[in-house]
Amino acid sequence: MTPQAQEIAQLDRLIHEPARLTIMLILDGVSEADFLYLQREGGFTQGNLSGHLAKLEDAGYVEIEKKFKGKVPLTVCRLTSHGKTAYTRYSERMRALFRGNGKAD
Amino acid sequence: MSIETLEKPPSYGRRAASYWFIDGLPELLFGLTVVLFSFLGLLFRIDAPTRWMRPGLRVQPDSWIFFGGLALYYYLERRVLDILKSRVTYPRTGYVNPPEEREGKVETLVVLNLRPTPPLKENVTSFRLRTVWPVLTFAWLFWLNGNLLDRWLAPSLMPAIAITLYLANRKSDHPYSWRSLLILGLTGPALFLINVPAYYQQPLPALLVGGWLSGRGVLTLIHYLHSNPYPRNMVKGRA
Repeated sequence: MTPQAQEIAQLDRLIHEPARLTIMLILDGVSEADFLYLQREGGFTQGNLSGHLAKLEDAGYVEIEKKFKGKVPLTVCRLTSHGKTAYTRYSERMRALFRGNGKAD
Repeated sequence: MSIETLEKPPSYGRRAASYWFIDGLPELLFGLTVVLFSFLGLLFRIDAPTRWMRPGLRVQPDSWIFFGGLALYYYLERRVLDILKSRVTYPRTGYVNPPEEREGKVETLVVLNLRPTPPLKENVTSFRLRTVWPVLTFAWLFWLNGNLLDRWLAPSLMPAIAITLYLANRKSDHPYSWRSLLILGLTGPALFLINVPAYYQQPLPALLVGGWLSGRGVLTLIHYLHSNPYPRNMVKGRA
């Protein structure tokens, strides 16, 4: 197995899925966002987003909290420190792969 | 298609920062605060007894009303906006906590404006730094420090404020269009034609800028409410 193939095999498959990568990208840019915001930004359906968030929550990458802003209930999501580390590792690995293949950042 | 020819989309952090202005509420709140307290200052100037407002006095007491009101704005802005947004914005298009603004320093504004591309995670919208500060600086210079330009004060200040707001916001994710600022700038010559007495000119620039910002805020809010109706199934919770 070539080193590149080894690197690709080690990619975090949970993050590698496009919908979950989108969620991680959004949450990495902000400190917290609610369900509706994620749904609109990522172009998800409600069921689709719920499913992906549940997977990320189970892995400990995302924490979900029900809270109130004024009198409005919100389902707020944020990256955990474990999620941030996993996302950073994933993006560094991808960058290294592309760089190794002669592609710019 | 090579990776070099792909245009980089704006980062989600910066999208979240400009999302804060999607409903026009920040501009509306600041604009209304400025209008309210500059109008109170103007009323005080018109009606206050002469022992309070003496023409020889370098710092007139009406300016303290304005700056007191703006201090209140600084203290309460985020809380008031959160209450308003929780009723208007969050149920319609969702809630996101925008990235923190950098420290409000002139150097920061200069550095952000000189950078060819804004930092990905930076809240380059920086409403306080790019809009609130210039307005307050002009008010501080020409209201708190006395009328240095006599009857030319408001006519010369309005174009100066318009140009400053344009330059300070041009690299923001929420820039002001030059057409909109032209209207603000042209209020200066209009005031010159009306021939407003020098004594009443100090509160006028703040009053006009506040009116202009409130107007922008109202238009944005109407457009936002029109394009994002309140969701019918939004009763007690979601997800």
